[in-house]
Amino acid sequence: MVRTFGADDMLLLAYGTQWTVMIAAVAFAGGIVGGLIVALCRTSPLAWLRVPATLVIEVFQGTPLLMQLFLVYFGFAILGLNVSAWSAVALAFTLHASAFLGEIWRGCIEAVPKGQSEAAFALSLSYWSKMRYVVLPQALRISLSSTVGFLVQLIKGTSLASIVGFTELIRTGQLIVNATYQPFLVYGIVGAIYFGLCWPLSLYADRLETRLAGARR
Amino acid sequence: MSVEIASPIPPPTAEDARAVERRAVLASMRHVDKYFGTFHALKDVNVDIHAGERIVICGPSGSGKSTLIRCLNMLEPIQKGEIVVEGVKLGVDMKRSNEVRRDIGMVFQQFNLFPHMTVLQNCMLAPMKVRGVAREDAQKTAMTYLERVRIANQAEKYPAQLSGGQQQRVAIARALCMNPKLMLFDEPTSALDPEMVKEVLDTMIWLAGEGMTMAVVTHEMGFAKAVAHRVIFMDQGEIVESAVPEAFFANPQHERTKAFLAQIL
Repeated sequence: MVRTFGADDMLLLAYGTQWTVMIAAVAFAGGIVGGLIVALCRTSPLAWLRVPATLVIEVFQGTPLLMQLFLVYFGFAILGLNVSAWSAVALAFTLHASAFLGEIWRGCIEAVPKGQSEAAFALSLSYWSKMRYVVLPQALRISLSSTVGFLVQLIKGTSLASIVGFTELIRTGQLIVNATYQPFLVYGIVGAIYFGLCWPLSLYADRLETRLAGARR
Repeated sequence: MSVEIASPIPPPTAEDARAVERRAVLASMRHVDKYFGTFHALKDVNVDIHAGERIVICGPSGSGKSTLIRCLNMLEPIQKGEIVVEGVKLGVDMKRSNEVRRDIGMVFQQFNLFPHMTVLQNCMLAPMKVRGVAREDAQKTAMTYLERVRIANQAEKYPAQLSGGQQQRVAIARALCMNPKLMLFDEPTSALDPEMVKEVLDTMIWLAGEGMTMAVVTHEMGFAKAVAHRVIFMDQGEIVESAVPEAFFANPQHERTKAFLAQIL
């Protein structure tokens, strides 16, 4: 039965969009926590923390996101665990975000002048106080625009979840195309929705970057 | 290099220098060797810093003078010898080492104030987080020292809003808020415009008058003459000469010292 694209399909797309936003939101939230841990390990003077963190970053940066998704998705099956597509996808994207945010923030932590750490050390601040009150607040400022930039990549990257059968925005679009045979219209709308999600964030990232450049003297 | 020093305290005499050396040793370096890779930065360095003593360390760039005082609070690890502060050998028991390090304040060439905090917050952070001082008390102490360095009216400003000389005075106040027994100065006036050097030196002279134990790396020989009990000259990682200022300037013993003084004075 071929039907014409209509209001019901728009609702379906809205529903798909909701899942796209959900994956991105969960992965981003998880990635903030995981990324902070990765970044702190990666910048640690202790080799047993630094080396594994480096390895995690290299593996996630050196392999396609789709493969990471496959490995987590099918990995659960091999382990005999029956987890939902949603859980597998959410975990895979969280790991991915942790590694990438970890690497972004490592650079930002290292961009804070060495004199700041030395001053904190000379004042006898503990490692945690130094990070919490001196280094991370300054690294955070530097990191804002690239972090938001990564969120844009993440939102677009969630489209790969469609390949393992998770019904987010793209997958919803495919299903509608199968029923309506109006691929150009449907994918046009899907693209517009992605653009509507990402463009404001990109603009925001640009603004943060300009503000940061202005703040540096 | 030749700032006029109008010191409110009389320059220490040779007798003062001998008297201060009879006091207890606050910090000492014994046969310290330090390498940066293959570069031998400190060669068998021995120094005693007595309570109340004021030492000026000078020498050409790369002579190891900054490295020496950075080793004193463990900013740089050493490869041989030992550094003892208040009877604790640094780097052995880290807990004890960190406890005595609290009694050492440091002022850097580049100030290293925390740019995202106000002047007042800069001064309150360490006392609250390290010594566990209550916020109100930390603020009171901070304001007291900011007044002493004559910058209390800028307490709510951020470091970037201050001149270099003002920032360095804040850095001094920030270190003093930890109530240190020993203050280390690593070329505190080298990054300053000439017209700001004096206000920082005046602050350091005030501190000397308060009886603070100080180890100062500087090229300001006027400051050395005005307050130092002892001047140490370093070259190529070695302590070449160590003498009371009068003898050091009037009658340097070593050729290298003479050459250095001829260049700098």
